[in-house]
Amino acid sequence: MRRRVVITGMGCVTPLGHDVNSTWEALLRGDSGMAPVTIFNASTFPASFCAEVKNFQLPQPLAAGGKHQHAGRHTRFTLAAAMEAWQASGLGESGHFDPDRTGMYLGSGEGSLDFDNFTSLLVDAWAGNRLNTVRWGELAFGRMNVHRETEQEGNMVVAHLAAEFGLRGPAFNSLTACAASTQAVGEASLLIRRGDAEAMLSGGAHSMIHPYGVTGFTRLTALSTRNDQMQTASRPFDMTRDGFVLGEGASILILEEYELARRRGAKMLAEVIGYGSSADAFRITDQDPQGEGAAAGMRAALADAGVGIDQIDYISAHGTSTAQNDSVETMGIKAVFGQRAYQVPVSSMKGSIGHLIAAAGATEMITCVLALRDQVIPPTANYRVPDPECDLDYVPNQPRKAKLETVMSNSFGFGGQNDTLIIRRI
Amino acid sequence: MPMPQEEVLDKVRETLVDALGVDEEEVTPEATLTGDLGAESIDFLDIVFRLEKAFSIKIPPGDLFPDNILNNPQFVENGKLTQAGLATLKQSMPHVDFSEFQADPDVNRMPELFKVQTIVNYVQNKVNG
Repeated sequence: MRRRVVITGMGCVTPLGHDVNSTWEALLRGDSGMAPVTIFNASTFPASFCAEVKNFQLPQPLAAGGKHQHAGRHTRFTLAAAMEAWQASGLGESGHFDPDRTGMYLGSGEGSLDFDNFTSLLVDAWAGNRLNTVRWGELAFGRMNVHRETEQEGNMVVAHLAAEFGLRGPAFNSLTACAASTQAVGEASLLIRRGDAEAMLSGGAHSMIHPYGVTGFTRLTALSTRNDQMQTASRPFDMTRDGFVLGEGASILILEEYELARRRGAKMLAEVIGYGSSADAFRITDQDPQGEGAAAGMRAALADAGVGIDQIDYISAHGTSTAQNDSVETMGIKAVFGQRAYQVPVSSMKGSIGHLIAAAGATEMITCVLALRDQVIPPTANYRVPDPECDLDYVPNQPRKAKLETVMSNSFGFGGQNDTLIIRRI
Repeated sequence: MPMPQEEVLDKVRETLVDALGVDEEEVTPEATLTGDLGAESIDFLDIVFRLEKAFSIKIPPGDLFPDNILNNPQFVENGKLTQAGLATLKQSMPHVDFSEFQADPDVNRMPELFKVQTIVNYVQNKVNG
């Protein structure tokens, strides 16, 4: 019989709150995390608002001792989220904590570049139409920040977590764009199933709210430009949706092998029973228009979980509020669920919280666990105008009481990356 | 006009607080950078960078902190600095106090040589000529 994997702790830092409870309550109220960009002056950008984490400081004792003095913004979010999850799980103090058998699998995005110094170097070493590398060499080594260079690497969040919590088990990070942290939770579960680890810190982190990140998404016309209606700009599945709202944050889940959690009397929040990953095999920035890639991921997760479509009580959608994603996801769900698609409630929290990019999937996984706990479905905020291409039950604007046993969560990323998780009440 | 020792110490302290995220009170003249203040290899690069800015000085590689003396077989034998190694170090690093170290020049003890006072000495030599 295969090993079972349970969730025993959760923590998050999001545009809606600095912990799980405040984020969840804000989501159920349908609050908006959107506000004008404060991290840099974005007043001339087509989208001058976003969903920032507000008024965040690294809490004690994490801030003491200088261990994380130069940690990037997304790493700081993750440390706080991980502290909340770690304390909630009680694993560290349980007498059952084995550092060599406790690992990390994150879907953490890259850190931000040493943007100002880099730009000033380009200006000073620019020779009309090319970079003068001699001049660059004269200037660069006295100007580029050594810490920023290191901290932008994709594995740095994992490194900070390992050092903070003393974890010496398997250490991984996936960089699969907006699907990264759903994939991370899935892969972390597989590591535990295989017996490579008995507990894993998993989840994701990202902050792309810097000039370079916002420019990239702007060029792709992926962002909503409703500057005059920012609170309601993210409107997944609504006919008038015009793009996503860029968010940031971190979410961490403690995954444990069921027998360890049982032995130590841990509070089990939910069981991870299925995981599927797929590629669109189509284009880089367009999804397979029939939703076949998304469907393949959902089918793989169902097969892995050994449950049928009749047993899925709720789908937490990727639902970004872009024209393409929401109709393609709808098509993918219909391809998998057939007529049953019209009976399964589907919602996207991105209307409230924005798109946390690499951190989105793990944050949504936390809301799925809370949906099971409270037997309530979080709503799709800002849904007003039905779209004939999006004709499912999207739980508009109000949370809904429901009997929930088994729920599915989708994440899709640029490049045609699809990941789906299924969890069950325990 | 020469910069008084107190002023140098204040600016060095400020630099180390920013570089290492330690509290001001921890940065005493006798505090070791590695042992007491938790500096790791990347921090030594950062400290040099910040000192250059704070004092408008140029610090060549290997001048304040040694860079590759341990790679020279003439200078290290059985995990200890040789007399030649010690002499070279002393000559190139007049800002370092070797008096306790030379009785047992174990390379593992080298980090203990670098204290806040070491940086203050170095900067004073540099700015006051």
